[in-house]
Amino acid sequence: MKRKTFFAFASPSILVMLLLMVVPLLMALWLAMQYMTFRNITAPEFVGLRNYIEILDDPLFWRSFNFTALYIAIVVPSWVVIGFIIALFLDQVSGLVRGVYLSIFLLPFIIVPVIGTIMFKQLWEPSGLLTWIYQELTGTRFRVNETSVKTLIIIFGIWYVTPFTIVVYFAGLQTLPAEMIEAASIDGASRLQKIRHIVIPYVSSLTVFILLFSIMDSYRVFDSVFVLSELNPQFKADTVMTYTFLTAMQFQRLGKSNAMAILTVIGIMVVLVPFLYLMYKEQIAER
Amino acid sequence: MDRVNSPAGRVFVHFVLVVFAVYSLVPFFWTTLQSFKTFKDAFSRVPVFIFQPTWKNYQEVWIRSLPDADSSVGYFILMAAVIITCLMLFARYIPLKSTWIYIGGLIGYGLLLWAIPQLVYMQKYYKYFINTIIVTVFTILTSISIGCLAGYALARYAGMAAVVILIAALAFRALPRLAFVLPYFWIGSLTNLLDTHILVIIALVAVNQPFTIWMLRSFFMDVPKDLEESAMVDGANRLTSFLNVIVPVAWPGIISTALFTLLLAYNEFLLVRVLTQTNWTLPVAISRYTGAEDPAQLTLAAAASVSATIPIIVVILFFQKHLVKGLSAGAVKG
Repeated sequence: MKRKTFFAFASPSILVMLLLMVVPLLMALWLAMQYMTFRNITAPEFVGLRNYIEILDDPLFWRSFNFTALYIAIVVPSWVVIGFIIALFLDQVSGLVRGVYLSIFLLPFIIVPVIGTIMFKQLWEPSGLLTWIYQELTGTRFRVNETSVKTLIIIFGIWYVTPFTIVVYFAGLQTLPAEMIEAASIDGASRLQKIRHIVIPYVSSLTVFILLFSIMDSYRVFDSVFVLSELNPQFKADTVMTYTFLTAMQFQRLGKSNAMAILTVIGIMVVLVPFLYLMYKEQIAER
Repeated sequence: MDRVNSPAGRVFVHFVLVVFAVYSLVPFFWTTLQSFKTFKDAFSRVPVFIFQPTWKNYQEVWIRSLPDADSSVGYFILMAAVIITCLMLFARYIPLKSTWIYIGGLIGYGLLLWAIPQLVYMQKYYKYFINTIIVTVFTILTSISIGCLAGYALARYAGMAAVVILIAALAFRALPRLAFVLPYFWIGSLTNLLDTHILVIIALVAVNQPFTIWMLRSFFMDVPKDLEESAMVDGANRLTSFLNVIVPVAWPGIISTALFTLLLAYNEFLLVRVLTQTNWTLPVAISRYTGAEDPAQLTLAAAASVSATIPIIVVILFFQKHLVKGLSAGAVKG
């Protein structure tokens, strides 16, 4: 394909991304240096880097940052481990049965996150099923407090995204060459040894892919936290994203929240840049 | 992996899978149960599993006032929906071109959706439902049509520009929505576009574009190059050979991508929440049901959630293969 045809075909999409993603990002950089509320939205006041300084001094921001870090630290390994194990089990069945299981497993990932959260929340209402089971098992009342809300957010996070890792690992397992396993069987390797020495190394590139995307995605978690922290508004269990949202929409500090968004962009970029470099090298090699 | 063959091993495999299936389904099961309960049953401290089911919650979510008992409005709507669905399901056996039947059926559904509020006095929820359909349909149409052209160009062009665009798109895909949404909010409030469908659609098309072109590109890469080359030898230009030869071959991949765009648009919460005040789509509308302190909302929220989930479950049942293909295509190749 010639250069001219390429640009003729790709220009609508390039234009959309340039106008609607690059320009807003540059605007965000500019907005982050303004003092702006809903009242002076047409005439913001330039304050330089003061928004950033204010954020770094803001204990609430650090609290939300710490919770986000905790969330990532628990949720991401759980996705990888549970997803891999369930994919191994799913690989053991075939045909229609497999399709039915796969459909059921995919459900949490496909439904609207907000609605999934609301359904999950219904289980933990005072009259909910799991509240009752919890109380029967432990003999204590289920209390809504900061710890329990945060725990629920983490459990929901695991429940909601695991299907994605299941499908990715499952697709990877389908391409595993049968000869490798056969050779190991002849050598008398046990099932666990085969998994340990053949399967895990074989899917390691997928693991890297999953890790990168899940770290970035869990950093951006918003919907479920937003809904679940409403369980008890007194104990806000905010992540960086929900705190940014609240700063904009509730405290009406548009400039400050833009600065927070920019800080998040920088944070994600730290994880992303090595990955982008890998992809770049792969793309160059393809040509 | 080789199969577990011992009977005990088989039982164990199915045991684990069934446990995981239960774990995946518990919230759906419980919410559906709650949505059919009366106020009293739903609030009992010890869960009630056997009860007299009621449609009242669904009715209250959707319909504001019922049509008169002796009028046949309800039956008319039901009949029309059933007839259109049957026509589309059995389109193969009708001696007309299937495409026209599908297009006709979709127009029929559209007319029905338009007619219902003229016949029955509906709740606001219906308006949010229509909003969701409008936003989703237009997002898919715009996003896929410009995405196809770009995806095809990126799959075929070997120059540096393509690499730069692909890598930049990947970077954009990873960035948080809020970084884009707040400037949109600012522009929206300066231009009075806040609370309109058009702003939401534009924003959705933009934030989904990187993902769309990556996915479409991977599907266009699978189409053999000789195909359009032979068409071009026959005198067709790039665009016509693309539309007539490539698109039909890559159609399953395009459907996969459209499916993901549908899910992304249908699921979007943050963007709609920031850019609208009253013209909500379903996720935002439903979150408003539960945000309230009023406990009477509990069963209504359950009914509203189940209502909004049914279309998605229907989509999964029909397109499961496309869905799995799309999820694994992105992963295995990326």
